[in-house]
Amino acid sequence: MTFLIQQTLIYGVPLLIVALAGVFAERSGIINLALEGIMVFGAFIGVLFVRIMQTSAGFEALKSAGDWMALQGLELLAMLAAAVCGAIFSLLLSFASINLRADQTIGGTALNLLAPALVLFFIRIIANQNTLQMASGDSASWFMIKKTTLGFDRDADLGFFGNTFLHKVYLATYVCIILFIVLSVILYKTRFGLRLRSCGENPQAANSLGINVQKMRYIGTTISGALAGMGGFVYALTTANCASTGDVAGFGFLAIAVMIFGNWKPLNIAGASLLFGLFKCIAAAYSSIDINGDGVYALANLGISSHFYRLLPYLITLLVLAFTSKSSRAPKAEGIPYDKSMR
Amino acid sequence: MKQEKTPLLRREGSVKLLSSLLSIVIGLVVGGLIVLFVGLGNSEIGADGAGEGLRLIFAGILSTGRDASGALSWGFNPTNVGNMLFRAMPVIMTGLSVAVAFKTGLFNIGAPGQYLMGTMVSLVIALSIDTAAVPAGLVWVLALLGGIAAGALWGCIPGLVKAFLNINEVLACIMTNWIAANVVTWIFDGSAFRNMVENTKSGYIYKTSFNGVATPKLGLDKLFPGSQVNGGILIAILFAVAMYILMNKTTLGFELKACGANRHAARYAGISDKRNIVLSMAIAGALAGAGAALYYLSGNTEFFWTTYQSLPAEGFNGIPVALLALNNPIGVIFAGLFMAMLNIIGLQLTNLTAYNEFITDVIIAIIVYLSAFSLVIRMFLMGRKRKVPPKLGADDAAAPAKIPAENEKGGDDA
Amino acid sequence: MGESEYVIEMLHITKEFPGIRANDDITLQLRRGEIHALLGENGAGKSTLMSVLFGLYQPEAGEIRKNGVKVDIRDPNDATALGIGMVHQHFKLIEVFSVLDNIILGAETTKLGFLQRKEARKKVEAISRKYGLAVDLDAKVEDISVGMQQRVEILKMLYRDNEILIFDEPTAVLTPQEIDELMATMKEFAREGKSILFITHKLNEIMAVADRVSVLRKGRYIGTVNTHDTDKQELSNMMVGRPVQLEVVKAPARPAEEVLQVSHLCVPSHIHKRDAVHDVSFSVRRGEIVCIAGIDGNGQTELVYGITGLGRPSSGSVKLCGEEIARASIRRRGANMSHIPEDRHKHGLVLDFTLEQNMVLQRYLEKRFQRRGFIRPAAIRDYAQGLIAQYDIRSGQGPVTPARSMSGGNQQKAIIAREVDRDKPLIVAVQPTRGLDVGAIESVHSRLVAERDAGKAVLLVSLELEEVMSLSDRILVMYEGEIVGELDPKTTNVQELGLYMAGARRDGKGGAAS
Repeated sequence: MTFLIQQTLIYGVPLLIVALAGVFAERSGIINLALEGIMVFGAFIGVLFVRIMQTSAGFEALKSAGDWMALQGLELLAMLAAAVCGAIFSLLLSFASINLRADQTIGGTALNLLAPALVLFFIRIIANQNTLQMASGDSASWFMIKKTTLGFDRDADLGFFGNTFLHKVYLATYVCIILFIVLSVILYKTRFGLRLRSCGENPQAANSLGINVQKMRYIGTTISGALAGMGGFVYALTTANCASTGDVAGFGFLAIAVMIFGNWKPLNIAGASLLFGLFKCIAAAYSSIDINGDGVYALANLGISSHFYRLLPYLITLLVLAFTSKSSRAPKAEGIPYDKSMR
Repeated sequence: MKQEKTPLLRREGSVKLLSSLLSIVIGLVVGGLIVLFVGLGNSEIGADGAGEGLRLIFAGILSTGRDASGALSWGFNPTNVGNMLFRAMPVIMTGLSVAVAFKTGLFNIGAPGQYLMGTMVSLVIALSIDTAAVPAGLVWVLALLGGIAAGALWGCIPGLVKAFLNINEVLACIMTNWIAANVVTWIFDGSAFRNMVENTKSGYIYKTSFNGVATPKLGLDKLFPGSQVNGGILIAILFAVAMYILMNKTTLGFELKACGANRHAARYAGISDKRNIVLSMAIAGALAGAGAALYYLSGNTEFFWTTYQSLPAEGFNGIPVALLALNNPIGVIFAGLFMAMLNIIGLQLTNLTAYNEFITDVIIAIIVYLSAFSLVIRMFLMGRKRKVPPKLGADDAAAPAKIPAENEKGGDDA
Repeated sequence: MGESEYVIEMLHITKEFPGIRANDDITLQLRRGEIHALLGENGAGKSTLMSVLFGLYQPEAGEIRKNGVKVDIRDPNDATALGIGMVHQHFKLIEVFSVLDNIILGAETTKLGFLQRKEARKKVEAISRKYGLAVDLDAKVEDISVGMQQRVEILKMLYRDNEILIFDEPTAVLTPQEIDELMATMKEFAREGKSILFITHKLNEIMAVADRVSVLRKGRYIGTVNTHDTDKQELSNMMVGRPVQLEVVKAPARPAEEVLQVSHLCVPSHIHKRDAVHDVSFSVRRGEIVCIAGIDGNGQTELVYGITGLGRPSSGSVKLCGEEIARASIRRRGANMSHIPEDRHKHGLVLDFTLEQNMVLQRYLEKRFQRRGFIRPAAIRDYAQGLIAQYDIRSGQGPVTPARSMSGGNQQKAIIAREVDRDKPLIVAVQPTRGLDVGAIESVHSRLVAERDAGKAVLLVSLELEEVMSLSDRILVMYEGEIVGELDPKTTNVQELGLYMAGARRDGKGGAAS
């Protein structure tokens, strides 16, 4: 059970934060189909950052001194770097959609093509192969928080809660959850949030009330880019052993599905991403899931092909969309370029 | 009514062509700049290496490798040109696939999945019917038809959910892509189609030539010796011409275009928008499936079956091809050739320099990016300052009315 | 305050759009505490002028003064800072927001960026009590009536302490009784010293409430007159530039057999759970114009959808020429029905198609336009050219003009030409004159009367009371999805019609009340 919850969180949290990235863009009126590409880019930047920092002498010293704070700091800095670069990358989409009134679907697709191409181009030049890894070690040994990291004894029993949420976890997971809550509150309780949402629903009305629609859309999309870039790195860190391959296997699109399923509302999205995280976790680790702790791997024993579990998340996404599309309600003005002279 | 004469450069057709050429030039220049900066910033490549990379990006199709002194050599390279024609074949087909869907207002990003399903079915047919009993030519035809049918069926899925449940076809396409990737791996995993004869070929399906099935060369191999080209390219061109006629000369094309341009007005006129959305996606899927069949029935191509983690580039490259061609089926032929040329250039870069083929993907992505606002580029070329004569006010109907292309997402008034 | 007699002056304003001079040297002067009407036809440039005042457009020439001092209004924030507020013709409301959020949006009270909704609520409640503008602050805008939405818009202005209030065509969506209330509120504002600009093309309202009137025509300033010194005919001549025939000339109707019979029809709404059309029964005969009247949003659109097939009826029957069509396809219905749709951009035209393609939008399958699935372009060209000549449809390049580049009036002409030429026993015309200028309106009206006299059955849906009164042979009033009354235009008057439209009166006719 502990394993199941941890794995669900590991898949669910990147989905959560990237789906929220989608919310900020779409609530401001821009369809951000580029989440996938921005994730790829963010993952690359984060991994590259870790790789470069690892080779600096200072960090090696801290590492050998067992200063886990420094390592967690490195993780946070890598997240920050991924977020900043994700935000910058997303400016390509904002500029095309807001200033040039581009077709947002095609613009997003362009970014989705551009990110892996650029990333692979540079990975090949840097590493002379198609995968960029940490300079040494793996993410589990470098960044994972374990009992011992927190000063507990190797054999200490922290109880169910402690075992689940304090042992073999990543700081990034909790940072994302906190960010998610803070940003959700901002979206609903602040002047900024109210104005942002008005731009996605009725930009003409917002403009008539003195709100700068273009500025709000830039802000919304930039926040979106930052979150998606960060989410990309968190995904790479926690599920791909901190390696960048120019691919996040459709994770960005799953996040969009989560956002639609969650009806563009943070609370629903939180639920939806945990559900999807569970499916993803089943797909990735069905053979080692021991639901009730009796040593029997029930799912593996069912005799269903592993291929079926792998396609399950995508199939379920399609089905979920099919059943929820009638009741879902997208921001009314999303995807429509805003022209001041149109009233 | 007398039609006003417009200068050649201002005419819509030439402006469209010009905007596509401009996109290509900008794409190549940006790609070139990246190569330049990376080269200059990397001591192993240096200015000389960067210069070579640049020359290959713009003229790689004319590269004949390196001469004895190690310098790049140039000239007509029949192998390269033949391979370009060969590689153009599948992307012309997926380009047609994307273009036809675009005409109906649908973004078929599902071509990779349709392509994979077409691959699977045509390979299964081509390898499982014994050519000792059935003529190889007939098997070839059956395999092609099978690929077409598989692609069409797979294309129907996003079409159906779009038409009847109003699910954004882009998301549905992405999901069907990944489902296809897993299904194909699933089917081939453990099957008898895996190449067990050649040890070096682990992970591949047999070439269809193992069963004596291969596309006729039609003499093209004599024209371009050493290349993979075969008659498939001519079939792809025939498909393009057929699509041109379908879209522009028939009542079906009229209906499809009406649905694409204004789904509501089409419904108003008694045209079944749902039927046409499904039909359009089925045609699009069929074209992508046909592209896959043509590619893998060549006899000299092999399919790497563990595809669940990656989608075929030929499918995605249909998008830039269609966008560059501005969805004109005849234009798709040329855009497809260009895309194949980029592909060859990428190989030259990988083989001859420290750069790699992904730079051509960057160029393609930039071209797609520019296509997203091609309307602005065209208006710029036409020399107009403003794109849209604004609607003066809610009540000023005398002004030319122009509303943005309506976004279908969300609203269902059926 | 200032020395100037005028609180706001717009002097020699010129605003151009590509190809059009929407405002050409227009001067408008607003006195403190007056109600000043701005009169003009559709397309005269009223909305553009007000958008300039409100900071939505920047004029090419001219200047704006407040209290005699030149001011620069670059965006709506500047306008708000100067105390200018506006109720737009199409409400600027966020449908999914609460009424309170809509009122405070853009002028929020905050602490550390967090909204202080409680304080705002107190202020809004106080204003709402003072002027008797009742609203439900917690309701979502999409759930409240159009009248309440307008009150929300007015509260938005008052919440911002605006002194200069612009009302852009505020009465189009109201019943005659609600209009009276609005007029009273406007007078109340004026008494308090607020200055009001009232944009309209309805002469009765001007005579009832305005102190002075400025008239625009085709982007030009015609003049300003005191309401006391003028009359409706003079204003009308100023507005249109020629004497206007206020009445439609038509002979008495000679109805024959029934063409359309609707009985107990229910059509679901796609917004609300209840039916948008509930148990509606009526019939239309050859040789008569039957008009469905009512305030916008009372089920007219859905009723038309149910008849034409754009929507699916949930129950009931529709018989056209004796054939049951309530479940039939749109194409099947089209065999005996022409349909001039409410929204010419959404339904009426494929804007990216050429004019000739639009002319055969329903007919491309006919033998004369195709052979074995292949289109016959020459036949289509000939046909389109014929219609263009016959109906005087003006466009840049004739049959190959993209529909998008045509003017609204000519787009509508094209639709009417297409629908009339299809020559079907029933014509369903929904707001066929919306957004057209007087000349175009007259030609549409006479075309519909001519079709009636040629023995067609005409079902007209209109929101314009004058059109309803002058054009129809019978009036059916819709209120909240039901037909609440049948009236004879010769014996009824606008006041009575208004009572029905507001739901204040209903009778047993029309099959609605049991």
